[in-house]
Amino acid sequence: MSDKTAVNLTGVKESKGVWLVKVPKYLSQQWDKAADKGEVGKITIGKKQGKTEVRFSLNEELTARGAVGETDASLQVPRDHPFTMHTVGGQTMAVFSQSEADEISLEGMVVHRAECRPVVNDNYMKLKKLQLKESTKPQRLSQQLERAVTTIFKPVANHDFNLEHERKKKSEGKMVRVERQLVLDMLFSAFEKHQYYNIKDLVDITKQPVTYLKEIMRDIGMYNSKGAHKSTWELKPEYRHYQSAEEEEMQTA
Amino acid sequence: MTSLGSSSSSSTEYTVRVPKNTSKKYNIMAFNAGDRVNCSTWTQARMERDMSARRIYGEEESAEGAAGSEFGKKQREEARRKKFGIVTREFKVEDQPWILKVNGKAGKRFKGLKKGGVTENASYYIFTQCPDGAFEAFPVHGWYNFTPQAKHRTLTAEEAEEEWGRRNKVVNHFSIMLQRRLREQERGCEDDEDENEKSGKKKKKGGGRGGDLRIHDLEDDLEMSSDDSDSSMGDDGESKTKTKKDTGKGKAKKKKRKSSDKEALEDSDDGDYEGLEVDYMSDESSSDEEPEKGKPSKAEEHPKGIDEASESEEESEEEKQNEEETKEEEEEEEGKKTPVQVEKKKKKDSSGESESSDDSDIEGGTASALFMKKRTPPKRGGRGSAGSSRTGSRPGTPSIDSATTSNTLRAAASKLEQGKRQTQGPSTDSPAAKRLKMEPSTQSPAPSGKSTPQPPSGKSTPSSSDVQLTEEAVRRYLIRKPMTTKDLLKKFQTKRTGLSSEQTVNVLAQILKRLNPERKNVNDKMHFYLTE
Repeated sequence: MSDKTAVNLTGVKESKGVWLVKVPKYLSQQWDKAADKGEVGKITIGKKQGKTEVRFSLNEELTARGAVGETDASLQVPRDHPFTMHTVGGQTMAVFSQSEADEISLEGMVVHRAECRPVVNDNYMKLKKLQLKESTKPQRLSQQLERAVTTIFKPVANHDFNLEHERKKKSEGKMVRVERQLVLDMLFSAFEKHQYYNIKDLVDITKQPVTYLKEIMRDIGMYNSKGAHKSTWELKPEYRHYQSAEEEEMQTA
Repeated sequence: MTSLGSSSSSSTEYTVRVPKNTSKKYNIMAFNAGDRVNCSTWTQARMERDMSARRIYGEEESAEGAAGSEFGKKQREEARRKKFGIVTREFKVEDQPWILKVNGKAGKRFKGLKKGGVTENASYYIFTQCPDGAFEAFPVHGWYNFTPQAKHRTLTAEEAEEEWGRRNKVVNHFSIMLQRRLREQERGCEDDEDENEKSGKKKKKGGGRGGDLRIHDLEDDLEMSSDDSDSSMGDDGESKTKTKKDTGKGKAKKKKRKSSDKEALEDSDDGDYEGLEVDYMSDESSSDEEPEKGKPSKAEEHPKGIDEASESEEESEEEKQNEEETKEEEEEEEGKKTPVQVEKKKKKDSSGESESSDDSDIEGGTASALFMKKRTPPKRGGRGSAGSSRTGSRPGTPSIDSATTSNTLRAAASKLEQGKRQTQGPSTDSPAAKRLKMEPSTQSPAPSGKSTPQPPSGKSTPSSSDVQLTEEAVRRYLIRKPMTTKDLLKKFQTKRTGLSSEQTVNVLAQILKRLNPERKNVNDKMHFYLTE
């Protein structure tokens, strides 16, 4: 990921100023429910007694806490939200956006910070109480059962797993020894993929009895009892020809 | 943007839209006000994720394919981790820091670290005003704090600790980075002489500034200096800049700070010098032994002789080292002898029998300093020169001195040899036989060949390196400097002369009677001397 994306600086060049507004969670949740057009409310900016006042009022249809379209009388999100405005004193903030194609562009500079505050009334208090109750509920719960669970840990004549195992054995039968050359071919192709193998894995791959396989391995390979690849088998040096990555050639005796 | 209402009391309404298309993710790029970042001055900028943490997190195995890989290794590793409950945090690209480069290569660099917990309890929205007057609100996805990255060199942690230790002494802080750069250069091109010359030149320039820094090192030579190069550079620097003003200033400041320096020194470990063996702290040792002697009462000189013998064993270790050095310069046979003589001379010097006590103090002091530095033998010019200068024992004296002194000593030895053969021809056959064992090559023809009287001043003939207890030798010693009987005995050690301690004592007594030297009392000790 060493590609450096050139930042599109048009936003900054035009000195586009933006507002950074902190919005309460419940409000943003309501906004998420907005219709496609995306209209959520209205902002009124006015001057009262020389002070700039900014208010936001939520749209009617978004006040319900339930699904959109319902006006649940019980709980309603407050509509009126005055903004508290601050200037950006100690920080220079810019806004950059990242598109899906990893294109970065600088959208603008933050000129004002604002906090969206609800008007505190009974309705709001009720809402907050509900929120609090929800958040204090523990995520995990211990329940007491009326009756003991009797479906598991019953004594069984033969466990399911064992039964399956025996069935498998019967169907597949004992592992038959095939021609030595065939086994060698299988082994060599396996060792082409990886250098170190456990004997169990080899048995799995070749489907040969362990003794037979060990005999063959003793012939063409060696056992690592110590070191990084413990208790693994690998081919003898004269049989292997590993290059750093892909292609290798195995040479038979 | 902050459009107010047109009239004083009226207000304007704008609709707020939250666009639903979420193709673009908005983030905040926050700078510190102190950095005075002005985005409008940027001509071009590049930004990318800092992926350096990936290899720490990734822990990718080296071999994915055949060589070196194991069958089912990954699964096994995973199972193992689960068993031990090792939870490795995922490497999330989203959380990686940004690297922002402004105005190309020569411009500024910023690193943007993600600020956590921004979107947890409250959501941030960016309100922008559209041309139609409505506001559009975009949710903020992440917050990154961008800090400028230093392009200048900084000290590493170890170096910073070093400098912290020297904070009381270092006056010139500009030289710290300069020295570091020089050090790096030296390390980088060791066999490149040009570089060294360059650094040498720089030393001259920087020596002026670094001079006061270096002086501190020299004065605190007992302190453990981690950089030997510093001290060596310091020597050069000091010598070069002695006349410059800076060093004067530095010295003055250093003197002012002496008290604080002492405090700083006390901070260092106390037990550093405890276990070090210090040899020959001058006057005291010999003064203890002198009252025993008094007059040349030979009977009591037995234990003395043995003591000296034991002392000589201590010396022999030093001698061996000197031997190794001198073998390069001298022939082997003489190499064995002259360092012995040199050692003896040195011991004689340092044991305090001297005209001026200052010299001996210096001797003792430097000797102790020498021995504190334990085995730095190559530099140790432990050659008390045959001449009157005692400078040979100072460290840093090149070993060239040793060659010249050894030449004269060789001559002296040869003189002794001839003198001895003249006076004690037959009586020294047995010791000669003993000496034969030590130096068979030169000795065998010598006694017979040189029994013919030769002038004692034959300096050219290389002789055996035995020290003969002859009147000539004693006379020479006493002419050169006043000596006590103990010192004389030290000169003619039993090992070297082949005589037993009793014999040495007797012979020496006879010689002294014959010579009848003048006596002088120095430091309550009887010294003999001759004037020629």
